[in-house]
Amino acid sequence: MLNRIYAEEAIGIAMSTGADFAEIFFEVTRNGGITLIDNKIDSVADNTITGVGIRAFLGTRTVYGSTSDTTREGLVMCARAVAEAMGDFGEDTPSITLKPMEIQNIHTVKTPPLSSDIKLRCDLLREACYVASEYDKRIAQVQGNITGVEREICIANSEGLFVTDRQTRTRMAVNAVASSDGENQSGRCSPGRSMGLETFELFPPREIGKTAAAQAITNLEADYCPAGEMTVAIENGFGGVIFHEACGHSLEATSVGVGVSQMCGKLGEKIANEKVTAIDDGTVKNAWGSVNVDDEGTPTRRNVLIENGVLKSYMIDRLGSRRMGMKMTGSGRRESYLYEPTSRMTNTFIDNGPDKNEDIIASIEYGLYAKSMGGGSVNPLTGAFNFAVTEGYIVRNGKICEAVRGASLIGTGSDILQNIDMVGQNLDVGQGMCGSSSGSVPTDVGQPLIRVSKITVGGRK
Amino acid sequence: MIDYKALMAVIKSEADSLGVKEYEIYSKSGSDTTVETLNGEINAFSSGTFSGICLRVSNGGRMGYAATELMEESEMRSLVHRALENAKATEKPDEVGIYSGADSYGMDKNPRGASQMDAAELKSIAVRTAKGLYSYSDKVTDGTSTAAQSSSFTVRISNSHGLDLEASATVSVVACEPVISDGQAKESAYELMKLDEDSDIDAMARQAVDTAVSKLGAGEVKSGKYNVVIDSRRMRMLLSAFSSVFSAKNAQMGLSLLKGKEGERIASEIVTITDDPMRDGACVMMPFDAEGVPTRRKNVVKNGVLQTLLYNRETAKRENKESTGNASKAGYASPVSTSPYAFCIEPGDRSLEELYALAGDGILITKLTGLHAGANATTGDFSLESAGFMIRGGKVCEPVKSFTVAGNFFELLKSIAALSDTVELSVTGSSTTFGSPYVLVRDMSVAGE
Repeated sequence: MLNRIYAEEAIGIAMSTGADFAEIFFEVTRNGGITLIDNKIDSVADNTITGVGIRAFLGTRTVYGSTSDTTREGLVMCARAVAEAMGDFGEDTPSITLKPMEIQNIHTVKTPPLSSDIKLRCDLLREACYVASEYDKRIAQVQGNITGVEREICIANSEGLFVTDRQTRTRMAVNAVASSDGENQSGRCSPGRSMGLETFELFPPREIGKTAAAQAITNLEADYCPAGEMTVAIENGFGGVIFHEACGHSLEATSVGVGVSQMCGKLGEKIANEKVTAIDDGTVKNAWGSVNVDDEGTPTRRNVLIENGVLKSYMIDRLGSRRMGMKMTGSGRRESYLYEPTSRMTNTFIDNGPDKNEDIIASIEYGLYAKSMGGGSVNPLTGAFNFAVTEGYIVRNGKICEAVRGASLIGTGSDILQNIDMVGQNLDVGQGMCGSSSGSVPTDVGQPLIRVSKITVGGRK
Repeated sequence: MIDYKALMAVIKSEADSLGVKEYEIYSKSGSDTTVETLNGEINAFSSGTFSGICLRVSNGGRMGYAATELMEESEMRSLVHRALENAKATEKPDEVGIYSGADSYGMDKNPRGASQMDAAELKSIAVRTAKGLYSYSDKVTDGTSTAAQSSSFTVRISNSHGLDLEASATVSVVACEPVISDGQAKESAYELMKLDEDSDIDAMARQAVDTAVSKLGAGEVKSGKYNVVIDSRRMRMLLSAFSSVFSAKNAQMGLSLLKGKEGERIASEIVTITDDPMRDGACVMMPFDAEGVPTRRKNVVKNGVLQTLLYNRETAKRENKESTGNASKAGYASPVSTSPYAFCIEPGDRSLEELYALAGDGILITKLTGLHAGANATTGDFSLESAGFMIRGGKVCEPVKSFTVAGNFFELLKSIAALSDTVELSVTGSSTTFGSPYVLVRDMSVAGE
């Protein structure tokens, strides 16, 4: 781990040209991945990522340096480069005293993924892929992988903070392809948790395989989705990607702090239907997007973003806090030491609402039921977002009917939040990797079944 | 500094003592410097260096991988043990082993001795770009950012057959994202350009502002079928999103509908797609691939007929073919896969005016987003958020937004009706880049109002 004396020295050097704050982020991350193709273990690989990132602030000016050389010399060189780039606003090297702080790890791990026998991980993956390949004779190809991450981080800064955290994640993904008459369709299931191999007690491998295969077969039998504006019911779990894209990114200090978000200056305003309460909570035990402290050393917390339709909070990292004059919310995250942290989501979800799920479907005369969703993206400035439907069905006269494929949903965040006019009661989450300027970080999205009264469905018919 | 030779010697001695005969050390190191401005002022500076190595061992008929950034002797020894353990757990037979090398390699055409730009140069470029934006239009407002970046990397492959190859590249770029406001609505546009002697920063700044301004007041589109002109950048994005369908590995796994189609017509006869590791204008040129095989230019599609997929040694062996020199690694630690170099739809013979005239009434697509989710390479289907301009009577008219364009990549290739006469390559810091002319496609599904 990071040597405290070296850290004190490096922070002092980084501040020697006038910075008013400096910070060191240190990490040792072990990744391990096993891939299975055609019911054979195709590759087994592991990787140790290690390095430091040193950051200095002068007001809202930032300088960031990173290196994979974690020796004392490496730290000193990196800190000197940071100081040099900061300019020449002073020449005192402040004396820094770090105070080690214990953080309770609330995400208990029974069987760390990478210390476990490789064979055990291979067997779990084999079971999932076998079930998928046997699901239907039209399943032509099954690919799976099981990944484990064991990440140790240490953050020290000129305010005396010296905190370490250990993060463990385990995930399995199965991709199934169904093929018939020269046409391919795919299905995917990819659950993960901030825990060890006990993840697969919650998600039995055979269920993962079956879900992926069933989705591929459904899509193979489906016709293209019609195009146009419709009422859409979006199922729980990964369906929450609609909030993540339509609103979540626009509430990050990354865009709000520099005035390029449609949500700027809207605190206290009613921005969504009153049935919508949305939360970002990095403290959910063992959830995929949880961390004890963020990558700036701030403990995570439960941030109520929208309460009964009213905007209550943004997600704010350390730099955003300086820019906006607001408190940090434990939202500073980064993929690795190569990236400067910025405000990011953790586990973000629309909370349960007042409507019964059966009433939501029954209320739709003609529309789309989006059972399973893929990823999406957004431009926070305009709020224009998109995301893909990976399993969808037409709803007619309140009944779920035939499957349709190849649809995407688009809109703008401000419109969609007002158009979420029914919120159900089966809150669940789905796992994703969210990409932004500080790299790819694990996040949960979530919601109960919701109804969007009006949204553009991109289809082909 | 890391003593690369000393670390290699540790790996060699550990491999020898464990009786490992065939192995390869793939290493990548690099550094970058970036200066950013916000609202015309320098607000961020970053620089970084990294190096990582990946060991591949072929042992007992199986291949195993282990990688690290921790450059210590004990970690080098651990790497050999981990790679061996990983090989043991692998079930797929290793049919090709480690590459013994070729007689000759093409020239490393990356500019020799090209050095990274220093911080002072980058600062001056980032600030000048920002000034260009603000001076060009008084609609440019807060949130406007620019960045200048210079990066370089070195890839080295050393293996137990004595092969020892090295290639380096340096890429410097400038980017800008003006935010413009007409007092009511805000829009933005992003431009990225390679920095070299010919780069016209002011022209880039003007282009970005013009693009952002042109989006103001965009209306909506009625759902229906339209003749569509996809601009060069959006078409190369589509080509990139679907490039994995040209991978022999994906075809062999049944994940590409191009499986078994070599020699068959897969595109309109005006379509030729080439893959060229040394194409003029590419940011990075690679004389060897991720296994050490020499790279070469090839026609992938010639006049609509699929000539070859992209092979590494393993996928070529399965079909009794030679590798096309397209072995790649997503990161230094990743298993060997395949990817293209400068992968381009070659230009046609139409000017843009002729292309719009051929479209008659339709839509010019100048934005496609959500390709990571809305484009499925296994099926070829895509449904993507778009924006652009109406084409009326052969002329580009008012802006439109908030619609999707949906189709199937394989059908699209077949229905390309005309191509413009220019190609622009994407600017990247890696050896994979894409290029395309503007393309005219008839009767595409558009969902709007």
